[in-house]
Amino acid sequence: MALPMEKIGVCRWRLPQEGKMRTEGLVFATDDMMEAIRQEQALEQVRNVATLPGIMGPSIAMPDIHWGYGFPIGGVAAFDENEGGVVSPGGVGYDINCGVRLLRSALNADEIRPRLKELADGLFRNIPSGVGSRRKDLKLTLQEEKQVLQKGALWAVERGFGTENDLLHIEETGRLSGADPDIVSDRALERGQSQLGTLGSGNHFLEVQEVEEIRDEEAAQTLGLSPGQVTVTIHTGSRGLGYQICDDYIGVMRRASRKYGIELPDPQLCSAPLSSPEARQYLSAMACAANFAFANRQLITDWVRETFEQVLGRRPAENQLSVIYDVCHNIAKWETHRVGGKERRLCVHRKGATRAFPPGHPDVPDMYRHVGQPVLIPGDMGRYSYVLVGTQAAYEETFGSTCHGAGRVLSRHAAKKLARGRDIIGQLAARGILVRAAGRATVAEEISEAYKDVMEVVGVVQQAGIGKIVARLRPLAVVKG
Amino acid sequence: MGNYQILEHTADMGIEAWGESSGEMFVQAARGLMDIIGGETETLGEERLIEIRGEDFEEILIRWLNEILFLFESRGFFPGEFEIMVLEDHFLRARVMGEQFDSNRHRVEREVKAVTYHQLKVEKSGNEWRARIYLDL
Repeated sequence: MALPMEKIGVCRWRLPQEGKMRTEGLVFATDDMMEAIRQEQALEQVRNVATLPGIMGPSIAMPDIHWGYGFPIGGVAAFDENEGGVVSPGGVGYDINCGVRLLRSALNADEIRPRLKELADGLFRNIPSGVGSRRKDLKLTLQEEKQVLQKGALWAVERGFGTENDLLHIEETGRLSGADPDIVSDRALERGQSQLGTLGSGNHFLEVQEVEEIRDEEAAQTLGLSPGQVTVTIHTGSRGLGYQICDDYIGVMRRASRKYGIELPDPQLCSAPLSSPEARQYLSAMACAANFAFANRQLITDWVRETFEQVLGRRPAENQLSVIYDVCHNIAKWETHRVGGKERRLCVHRKGATRAFPPGHPDVPDMYRHVGQPVLIPGDMGRYSYVLVGTQAAYEETFGSTCHGAGRVLSRHAAKKLARGRDIIGQLAARGILVRAAGRATVAEEISEAYKDVMEVVGVVQQAGIGKIVARLRPLAVVKG
Repeated sequence: MGNYQILEHTADMGIEAWGESSGEMFVQAARGLMDIIGGETETLGEERLIEIRGEDFEEILIRWLNEILFLFESRGFFPGEFEIMVLEDHFLRARVMGEQFDSNRHRVEREVKAVTYHQLKVEKSGNEWRARIYLDL
């Protein structure tokens, strides 16, 4: 069924309110992208989200929208508790606080190029990736794990993994409040216990990069980025703990939806009123998973620093691997936004979307406040990633949100078929990109051609004004699970 | 005879499983899940007993598959074959045969994060049970 999308401005499309929708849909895309998006059922998902009680503003989708579970990936939706608004685990996703952290260094790409092979091998060895891998020297008791869930990145810093300064450069300083580890299931705790400090697999990765291009001098200077500089990107989330919490609460929310009479066009949209005990419990458990993910990226940061020291034989002060920022891509958060001329406290769901607060917003760290919040958008392993900053337009139109990545264009099967007979690792190496991967199918399934060109995605948010491009980063060494 | 088929969309993978009984369909769905994860068992010398209670048949099916994922991912048990012992509207008892997971021997293809309720379909028509399940990868 074709939905009647109306073009309403630069890269903006409206899905008019009809039937059971309580609001309209708003999708950011070029004409070409919209053609492709129409082929999927993702627009139906934008419509389905618009039927949920208490939704404020439009049901939003970013240019990297694709078909997700219940909510589309690339979706943003905000709900008001006082208007019967709901929270839905499907609006956050299984990988709670899957996110990205960017480190800058005092190194130039030319300095590390001769040692790149050792660096790639060292990172692959020191940072567990792939199914079932773990650091033998990190064993958590149940009590310690509960501390992780409560304290997030702070727990890691207290244990000597990184510095307090790191915490100032993380969304929410690496710790969501309201996390109660005692409501997390034994099973979720068991899954988390062995997986803290692991990258995982699939689209999760660790990348050593070089700054290829600066697009905004002032913002780049503020973020400490300059051409040729070495950066490191860490893309991972809350691992099995988050997946289990999502699964546990989908069960709770299926019952809650029936109990509170919420009509669902898709069972994966199951939700509960924000005022209900079920919603409070989910948000508390979700905060635990978010904190686990922050701690995870903090531990990996420490091991990246350790590996650079080992391989380059330089002191930490010389490498200066410092955190630029760390953002959540899958999260629900309480935030204050203006809707219909009124300030409201809203529960903003971002599923495959990034918070992008504007210059001057109090939640943007002091040192970045005059340029806006850093936004980190990973691309595929063969091309590039982007650094953006948040804008006032994003704050006014999309609850301070922007895109999160490239998104697949080929199925895994199609990607493997395309990769068959090709030496993908050799071809990338010839272009100066070293790849190390744990999973047998990973490299073929994750080839560049399997993903949208992230340049087009960030191009749309830049044109639409809901993000501002600062720099482009090119991969040098990639570790995949 | 039952069987399964792997479903693929752009970013997702799923399983269509069918059989002459609901139990057969459950076994086929589990085989489909392990096919997506990849790797093969060499022996079936160890077994685990699974018991699941659920609100409805759909919930039992999803929990069954998530239980298999859990055995693999957290308990290091690599399942190879499945036997349904009791399957009722709100209860399942099953046996899973396999061996200890060894990343050197079992060449896993990809990580499955979770089994979802997204577009879940379980139906019986004539003598055939059929289910469609999507996974989060």
